[in-house]
Amino acid sequence: MKMEEMSLSGLDNSKLEAIAQEIYADLVEDSCLGFCFEVHRAVKCGYFFLDDTDPDSMKDFEIVDQPGLDIFGQVFNQWKSKECVCPNCSRSIAASRFAPHLEKCLGMGRNSSRIANRRIANSNNMNKSESDQEDNDDINDNDWSYGSEKKGLWYLPFQNPNSPRRSKSLKHKNGFSVCTSASNTLPLLFSSSGELSNSDPFKYNNSTGISYETLGPEELRSLLTTQCGVISEHTKKMCTRSLRCPQHTDEQRRAVRIYFLGPSAVLPEVESSLDNDSFDMTDSQALISRLQWDGSSDLSPSDSGSSKTSENQGWGLGTNSSESRKTKKKKSHLSLVGTASGLGSNKKKKPKPPAPPTPSIYDDIN
Amino acid sequence: MVVSKMNKDAQMRAAINQKLIETGERERLKELLRAKLIECGWKDQLKAHCKEVIKEKGLEHVTVDDLVAEITPKGRELQNPIVPSSHL
Repeated sequence: MKMEEMSLSGLDNSKLEAIAQEIYADLVEDSCLGFCFEVHRAVKCGYFFLDDTDPDSMKDFEIVDQPGLDIFGQVFNQWKSKECVCPNCSRSIAASRFAPHLEKCLGMGRNSSRIANRRIANSNNMNKSESDQEDNDDINDNDWSYGSEKKGLWYLPFQNPNSPRRSKSLKHKNGFSVCTSASNTLPLLFSSSGELSNSDPFKYNNSTGISYETLGPEELRSLLTTQCGVISEHTKKMCTRSLRCPQHTDEQRRAVRIYFLGPSAVLPEVESSLDNDSFDMTDSQALISRLQWDGSSDLSPSDSGSSKTSENQGWGLGTNSSESRKTKKKKSHLSLVGTASGLGSNKKKKPKPPAPPTPSIYDDIN
Repeated sequence: MVVSKMNKDAQMRAAINQKLIETGERERLKELLRAKLIECGWKDQLKAHCKEVIKEKGLEHVTVDDLVAEITPKGRELQNPIVPSSHL
């Protein structure tokens, strides 16, 4: 274009700037005009002054800068000391304690229903229970013995808060319905520890065992077929753990069974394997002498307490046959000789399957 | 001679303007300017001034022409300190 060429040729800096300035001025004027149109429209439509507030309300929302107050003028901790009136019981409660109080007062929270359930169970217990005082240590122990339930409850209000557990334990897994006294249900309600597998309807201690004094022979027998049953010396209760519980030896279990059920008593786990019987017949005499000696030195370092020695000293002979059976079962893949010497290792509570078939083990025990 | 020179300038300006409009550059520049004005608060100042004018004149009787006449020079003088060098 001719004009363009003209303009380009005639350019110099000052002119350029001048022109730029003019263009800029035009643009600004356009913006002003546009702005005017907006304002005018706002005025005419009536929304121009809408975002202004009157000075009175402006003062309400002024920023507060006094010490002790936040910028809204509120006092810190104002609600701590305030008291609210409970609509249920019409007591005045501190504000920070109001919500938990209301939960208990109305009986609608999780905790409050648990506590209520426990109280109901308690009152049932108290109505039905015979008084049966256990030793004093039991009352002081963490578990609950039969007679001292009341005390145990108040000492340990939150030990068994789970109601689902309680209903579980009420089902008799083993099918026992031997105990006829009404007090059967009591201990079940409060046993929520790992002993639930023994859901016997017997007098139940939380973690230690069963008091055997009040059980009948049938009950005892059935008990002994499923549980360890060894009587602990401190608490005079039967161990409720499994037949293979590591705290007690097989010989102890045997001893307990003989004590309760007569000399013909048999350990329940034996009945499963037939082989053992044959083995027993042949070797029992050979083992008798050894086992007699073994019986007297039944102490193994892992076992606790002197109770074992006292119980087992008299049972040396009686335990012979069953013991051999037991060890045979544990190490069934060994030869007969191996099993015989395996008895020694058994006592140490560390079943070592490849036990060397030498009598040197007896030296170790000694 | 001077007249012709001025004519030339005018022509040049006209030509440049035309070019700007054609390419759409002018619109772009306008938007840019508007954004910048808002950013630096020019618009708020102008608004305050408008309010005063309106209060003076009374809400009902304000006309566009009045506003324009009052505000445009004010706007221009507010704006002048801002150097338009970026537009170049």
